[in-house]
Amino acid sequence: MMAKIDLKLLRNQAQKAIDLTKDLKELNDIFKRYLGKRGQLTQVLRSLEKLPETKRAKVGKEANELKSFLRIKCDQKAREIKEKIRKETAKTEWIDITRPGERPALGHLHPLSQVKNKTEEIFQLMGFSVVEGPEIENEWYNFDALNIPKDHPARDIWDTLWLKPEVRSPNSQRLLLRTHTSPVQIRYMEKNNPPLRIIVPGRVFRHEATDASHEINFYQIEGLMVDKKISVANFKAIIQHFFQQFFSTPGGEKSIGIRLRPGYFPFVEPGFEVDMICLACGGRGCSVCSQTGWLEMMGAGMVHPNVFKAAGLNPKNWQGFAFGMGLDRLAMMKHKINDIRLFYSGDLRFLNQF
Amino acid sequence: MVFSYNWLQSFFRKKLPKPEKLAELLTMKAFEVEEIKKINRDWVLDIDVLPNRAGDCFSHLGVAREISAILDLKLQTSFPDLKAKEDKNLKAKDFISIDVKSQKDCPRYTARVISDVKVGSSPEWIKTRLKVCGLRPINNIVDIANYVMLETGQPLHAFDGKKLEGGKIIVRFAKNREKIITLDEEKYDLDENVLVIADAKKPVAVAGIKGGKIPEIDKKTKIVVLESANFRPRTIRKSSKKLGLKTDASLRFEHGIDPNLTKVAINRAADLIQRISGGKILQDLIDFYPKKVFSKRIKLDLDYVERLLGVKISRKEILGILKRLKFKITETPALLKTKGIIMVEAPTARLDISIPEDLIEEIGRIYGYQKIPSLFPTAVLIPPKRNLDIFWEDTAKSVLKGAGFTEVYNYSFIGEKEAKLFNYKKSEIITVENPVSLEQKYLRPSLIPNLLKNIKENFKYSDEIKIFELGEIFALQKSKITQKYMLSGAISGDSFYQTKGAVDLLLNKLGISNIWYNSYRPTPEQSEISIWQPKKCAEIKVNRREIGFLGEISSKILDELKLNAFKIVVFDIDFEKLKALTSEEQNFKPISPYPAAIRDLAILVPREILVREVLNKIEVAGGDLIRDVDLFDIYEGENLPEGKKNLAFHIVYQSETRTLSSKEIEKTHQKIINILEKNPDWEVRK
Repeated sequence: MMAKIDLKLLRNQAQKAIDLTKDLKELNDIFKRYLGKRGQLTQVLRSLEKLPETKRAKVGKEANELKSFLRIKCDQKAREIKEKIRKETAKTEWIDITRPGERPALGHLHPLSQVKNKTEEIFQLMGFSVVEGPEIENEWYNFDALNIPKDHPARDIWDTLWLKPEVRSPNSQRLLLRTHTSPVQIRYMEKNNPPLRIIVPGRVFRHEATDASHEINFYQIEGLMVDKKISVANFKAIIQHFFQQFFSTPGGEKSIGIRLRPGYFPFVEPGFEVDMICLACGGRGCSVCSQTGWLEMMGAGMVHPNVFKAAGLNPKNWQGFAFGMGLDRLAMMKHKINDIRLFYSGDLRFLNQF
Repeated sequence: MVFSYNWLQSFFRKKLPKPEKLAELLTMKAFEVEEIKKINRDWVLDIDVLPNRAGDCFSHLGVAREISAILDLKLQTSFPDLKAKEDKNLKAKDFISIDVKSQKDCPRYTARVISDVKVGSSPEWIKTRLKVCGLRPINNIVDIANYVMLETGQPLHAFDGKKLEGGKIIVRFAKNREKIITLDEEKYDLDENVLVIADAKKPVAVAGIKGGKIPEIDKKTKIVVLESANFRPRTIRKSSKKLGLKTDASLRFEHGIDPNLTKVAINRAADLIQRISGGKILQDLIDFYPKKVFSKRIKLDLDYVERLLGVKISRKEILGILKRLKFKITETPALLKTKGIIMVEAPTARLDISIPEDLIEEIGRIYGYQKIPSLFPTAVLIPPKRNLDIFWEDTAKSVLKGAGFTEVYNYSFIGEKEAKLFNYKKSEIITVENPVSLEQKYLRPSLIPNLLKNIKENFKYSDEIKIFELGEIFALQKSKITQKYMLSGAISGDSFYQTKGAVDLLLNKLGISNIWYNSYRPTPEQSEISIWQPKKCAEIKVNRREIGFLGEISSKILDELKLNAFKIVVFDIDFEKLKALTSEEQNFKPISPYPAAIRDLAILVPREILVREVLNKIEVAGGDLIRDVDLFDIYEGENLPEGKKNLAFHIVYQSETRTLSSKEIEKTHQKIINILEKNPDWEVRK
């Protein structure tokens, strides 16, 4: 059955329907009614082959034109409707952007872990390996090997926590809680030949009454670089670079001044105290730096020949620098923390800020 | 130690820089000046003399020498030759004899006798200087002894000659049960470790530390015996520790003093006494000095100076600096000269100088460390070694952080109370010999006690707490020390499964997959002292090896901690074992291109049936077609038969080789159901 279809009528009906409709679903129905699988126009197109040759070309052309016409019409209308909907939603729907966001429940790394990580990263980029050592040490590594003789007032610099004398190391040395990370210098040089570059982060202990700036346990980071010609000038460059990297924000690298003063640590010679320009006042003097403009950051010096000897190296062949600084102090400065005890308090009101 | 600015000025003709300026120079080139205080017309500098320089710089003269070297100013001292002033009619040795019993402990003992003195008040200039330096004026004789100590660094002591029995001074160790009453009227029990100065009968002074009351100088004193001696630092340190007595003198002797100083100081003091209190200086210095100390000669290679400091300093400047510091440059053999080596003789006062590096420090600091440039080292490029320990520590920490835990750092100590509460045996924990407090008497044998403390503290502000710590613990095993890292965490509340999930996540992220949880079945004795709540704890096992524990803290312990209203679940993992199991390798598992189908299955089983049993049956029955089984609900209670629980699973079917037909899936699903229902008490709900 081949109904004679008036394409003109079809065109008028369809156009009217498209013009009148106001929503997308209806528009889709209209589209299907004419252009869908069983749509009216589709059927016309399908029936073309049954037409005589002469008519086929003409009707075919008209039908195809109508098809693309309706397509364009539908697309246009769809865009119009969508635009209208968009405008309406924009008018009615809104978000209170001042409402607090829903945070994923992340935890927190301890500020000392963060400072330790950052320090390690800076030194690793300069070719330093990170090495660790035991917290219980014997007297030899903690003192004797570091050129700090027994019964010497120099030992008074380190108030030591000793273990009960019944407990001894296998070589019957007296045991203690390491007062600094420096023993690892010896431990490392015993097993590794220079040239070498290491840093040693770790927990250290002092027999001390605690207050806002003293703790019974705290963290140090030790550094050691040994080669044929490592000099004071080299130490200055490395340590200045460290402070610069550590204290400047990405992109805003500021130049941070340091100075060396004479210092005394039996395991180095010459020995220095290293000061950094006060970050709070830029060196003009303020309460943070007790008006000096400088902050004491670390002890350092050139490795003492006796230390090389204690580690089984020939001091004639090697020279280098060593330094030790407090990680707690670095963290306190970086985050303007005024009490070292907060680090060991386990207080989440403090820790969750980092 | 405090120093008077005016006193320091008195050693120079030229005007010194203002106190602040001088302080800065000293800080940069010698010792840190910690404080400057104005007192009347003087300034007090609080100088932190470095411990190795105590020997020469615990004195105004010593600091003046430093200033002289730093500023290149000539030092003026007017110490007289005493020979001309001695009274030739009386000989000191006729009056007193010296007997040193231990030469090792007293390398030098010098004495002088001054007769016909008039004891009285000191002149103002002496009193002022003593007071500025924090000393209390007593009488002219004692004040002069103190004055000369502050001036030269040599402690001196004055005895009333008439009160010394037998005209004898004996340097010996005390006998057991000997006692002494010191000048400040304190009584001390002496023993064989304490070196004393004695007369024929009894100790009259604690050597190098403090004088005794009996031969004290008083208004009636006519004859003064002055002592200027040198003692072995270790001996004085021991006595001082033993008696708990520290003085200006012991401080100096402990650090060591040049034995050649005794003579200079005693002559200076005798001269002052004679000028101020009158009297006659008896002829001759009594001097016990069997082994004279000579100055050291050190070879210094000028190339090494440059190599160590990293800056070229001219030969002329180096020699200049050394000379300003009173070092002598001696004749160098020609052979060494051509190699740029010089011979340096250090003054005996400089006990700190013995090797070339010591000289290089002197050159460096006086030249100025600030003038040394910053130069990056030129070194062979050796890539740093990767530290896997630290890598895994950081990885573990960041996983736990991601899982919502906050990292804490606790003290490495526990107290008596915790040791008792957690039943740690004395033979298995390490005791600190000199703890700062009782709360820090033992080294922690576990991280758990302090974590529980943290939770308790934080309960004041919050009730949802998730914390962890990675730290070293200590134990004694058959009196051998073990120290190892533990990774432990705690979650507040009824949170066993949350904690277990966290452990699973942690281990997976460390590349560990073969994880197993074993119920922990302690013996009755063990459970009596166990910190874990029975039936609510498990061993964590990887490849059948136990690596830690997981469980609820026992109600007994929570009771004792006054946390009885709460529950706390803890994991406690041996990090050393864990590290050994970690792996960075992770193989990609191909994503199946064929669709997955999910079927749910709910089953009613008796309460005591373990989820693991049900899962095992599902997995075995399902075989290859099952990709995943996910327990999404457990329910017991209302609407369920007594003693039963309902488990609900999502079962994900998927093949890696083809699209599964629904028929195939239904068949397998039914197979699972049939197998599950073989158990008469189990009922799959449809």
